[in-house]
Amino acid sequence: MRHQLYRAFFAAAFLLLWFGPGISAWAQDSTLRIGISEEPRTLNIWLASDANSRKVLSLIYQPLYNRDPETLRISPWLAESLPEYDPETVSYTVKLRPAKWADGSDVTADDVVFTVNLIQKFKVPRYYSKWSFVREVKAVDKRTVRFFLKEPKAIFATRTLINYIVSRKEWEPLAKKAETQEKPLTALLNTKVDHPLGCGPFVLEEWREGTSLYLKKNPHFFGQGQSINQRKLGPHVDKILFKIYGTADVAILGLKKGKIDFLWWAIQPGYLEGLKDDEKVKVFLSEKSALYFMGYNVRKEPFSDPVLRRATATLIDNNFFVKRVLQGYASRMDSIVPAENSFWHAGNLPDYGQGLSRAERIRKASALLREKGYSWDTPPVDDSGEIQTPSSIRLPNGRPMQKFVILTPPADYDPNRATCGLMIQEWLNGIGVPAIARPMSFGALLQTVKGNHEFDAFILGYGRLSLDPDYLRSFFHSSNDKSRGWNMSGYRNPEFDRLAEASVSAMDPDKRQDLIHKMQQIVMRDVPYIPLYKPQVIEAVSRQFTGWEQMVGGIGNIWSLCRVKPVD
Amino acid sequence: MSLQKLIIRRSLEILVIFFVILSGLFLLFHLAPGDPVSRMVDPTMTPEDAELLVSQLGLDQPLWLQYVYYVKNFFTGNFGVSFHYGRPVVEVIGERLPNTILLFTSSVILSALAGIFWGKMVAWHKGKPVDTWVTIISLVCHTLFLPWIALLFIWIFAYKIGGFPLNGMISPELWMDPDSGIFLKTLDIMHHMLLPLLTLFIIHVGSYLLIMRSSMLETLSEDYILTARAKGLNEKQIRNRHAGPNASLPVVTSVGLSLAFSINGGALTETVFTWPGIGRELIFAVSNNDYPLALASFLFISIVVLIANLVVDVLYAFLDPRIRY
Repeated sequence: MRHQLYRAFFAAAFLLLWFGPGISAWAQDSTLRIGISEEPRTLNIWLASDANSRKVLSLIYQPLYNRDPETLRISPWLAESLPEYDPETVSYTVKLRPAKWADGSDVTADDVVFTVNLIQKFKVPRYYSKWSFVREVKAVDKRTVRFFLKEPKAIFATRTLINYIVSRKEWEPLAKKAETQEKPLTALLNTKVDHPLGCGPFVLEEWREGTSLYLKKNPHFFGQGQSINQRKLGPHVDKILFKIYGTADVAILGLKKGKIDFLWWAIQPGYLEGLKDDEKVKVFLSEKSALYFMGYNVRKEPFSDPVLRRATATLIDNNFFVKRVLQGYASRMDSIVPAENSFWHAGNLPDYGQGLSRAERIRKASALLREKGYSWDTPPVDDSGEIQTPSSIRLPNGRPMQKFVILTPPADYDPNRATCGLMIQEWLNGIGVPAIARPMSFGALLQTVKGNHEFDAFILGYGRLSLDPDYLRSFFHSSNDKSRGWNMSGYRNPEFDRLAEASVSAMDPDKRQDLIHKMQQIVMRDVPYIPLYKPQVIEAVSRQFTGWEQMVGGIGNIWSLCRVKPVD
Repeated sequence: MSLQKLIIRRSLEILVIFFVILSGLFLLFHLAPGDPVSRMVDPTMTPEDAELLVSQLGLDQPLWLQYVYYVKNFFTGNFGVSFHYGRPVVEVIGERLPNTILLFTSSVILSALAGIFWGKMVAWHKGKPVDTWVTIISLVCHTLFLPWIALLFIWIFAYKIGGFPLNGMISPELWMDPDSGIFLKTLDIMHHMLLPLLTLFIIHVGSYLLIMRSSMLETLSEDYILTARAKGLNEKQIRNRHAGPNASLPVVTSVGLSLAFSINGGALTETVFTWPGIGRELIFAVSNNDYPLALASFLFISIVVLIANLVVDVLYAFLDPRIRY
């Protein structure tokens, strides 16, 4: 009898636990449930460096300008019109549209002035370099603000103005408090922000740390019901719920099971087949502003020889990476600037081995090297033009080339780059170049390549490349060839430096475009970096919602979240 | 040596060991390649920005000075501020720790109780088919790859059959509902706990069962068991009152240490089930070079393990008067 009672009790408890909370689970149709990989770490805009904090904050704080989803050019957002440049005073005038903060107070020019002054005063990392060349900011009237630059800077309009504006009311007391501390910047960054005050489409409702974060519609959002950039904005959902999933496998199950409506997470191609067959799920494939590349350390021989680098570029088959390694979910790159960034991408670039077979690539590369004085005891191409196994290559001075290492991230961090390293090793070995691909932990790889420059070659990538091509200057200007600098290859070319400096102050977009194109041509001629590929962004949503705005980088953008609505 | 002297000696040893751990962890983290700033691979971030960050994080100071501050701060109860949260690490750990304790303590206790019970039973039926099969199943459970079994359970019970949640500790929708009371919320946590608990139970129960079985077999060959039989006690009394409690001593030791080690939260379990515990934080902190958070987490775990060791040593001496060190 006692055993039977125990059994009945356990069975009842089990059934209650299995079905009980599920039955009463509360659902709201107009709540958009978004799956993210990690919990946002902070809602302090000045501290937030992780992707998920920035995703949440991008729906709360807003910039003056945004990117147009089609043209990718800046378009007015919190600003009413495009900025007006006055070359005589080297200043930009920006007119704000009527807008309110989430507490109902007006967004004014004073808030913009305060934001810039705060960044400059505290030298807030990640923001300071974008505003450091602004000499003065003035509120002309309640909705007009004027930025005086120290000197003409083209990136002001394309990069600086797309940064967030904060409310003076929210941040002034916090900044004043931070100033009284021993380390004001640290105090500012460590300020806990429980309810950020923004003017975006959503405001924070509740953050239950470790589990979920709720946003609700901001009734004062300036875009509500407005048509901005020919797009009528909402938001059309009452709430957004961010749910955290520890692994992609479980997140995919959550999407298929209807537990989330959007997986704001780049999905690996391996999951695609299972998702494509699901009627409840829609998959988006988008281009990405990204760059995955192989770089040589051109500070040292023999990598300082551009002919060797061109021969390497000839041997590397980018199409192979796209088709075989990335299963077709990527695009080959022929420049440092992705082709989708069409205004800045240059045409007429050297296409090295494009369209050639493996044998033709070997013939072309060995011809290039032979012409420069490289030699072999047994060359890769015999007298009759047939390919053969070569002996080790000799440098133009007659010495054998030493073995060198291509550093890659480890396969558990990025299997694609690790595989590409092995393929490049094989292709280089095919003409007697003694390369060895070696995976190295990502932190160590960055320190080696960026910190102390003790390397031969490396494969790295930028998953989120800015749409403004100023990164060309960061990557290849000689002034950035220093520890922690972005010129990791140590490329130095006075002609490139001159063009890069001119591009910074070229305020005429067409003139700047011409300079950027020339910079790309130089880089692709000297190939300190050999561009390899850029993966596509694979995202999946529930068919219960419609209105997603696809652009470079995917559907996870402010336009989508202002327009998405439940299917009737 | 008296018990009092033993405790004093062990405590002093623990202090020395802890100081070695304190210094070792600092060196390991700071000498490992990479720093928090180098991981921020954003070409719009200038070297000057990086320098500002390095300075703000205090990483521009000489290593020995960082070490002095670190030791001083530790002994003054200041564990530092997380680089990514911007909050005191004690606060972050304090939020996550109860979740870890809830899940892992429950799983260790449940699996230990089951392991003791089943281990006792199979040892009693030594050589019979039940002994063979239970031993084989225990070995299989003990060697199962945790993420695999966790994902399998999620797929079967939460996705295919349904009813169980896929992940997390609570249903946010339910907790936002003003009508849901404390009973429903408690039930919701238990509902979310079931799958991770089942996974951990299956992983742990095998080892406890095998320890208990082996200890029970040894105990059953002791003279006092023979004496008990000679006294005419029935088999159930001999198994449950004489052999069982004595044989469970090694399991108690193992449980003590498991409880201590469970504080690190079985990072894999917490990751697969998105359980908001200290294990997931540890992975994040280590992979993002959040030194204060990672160091404080490891130190906290070290303290708990060292104290658990001391308690087990004392418990041993207390439970078995023959043991003296």
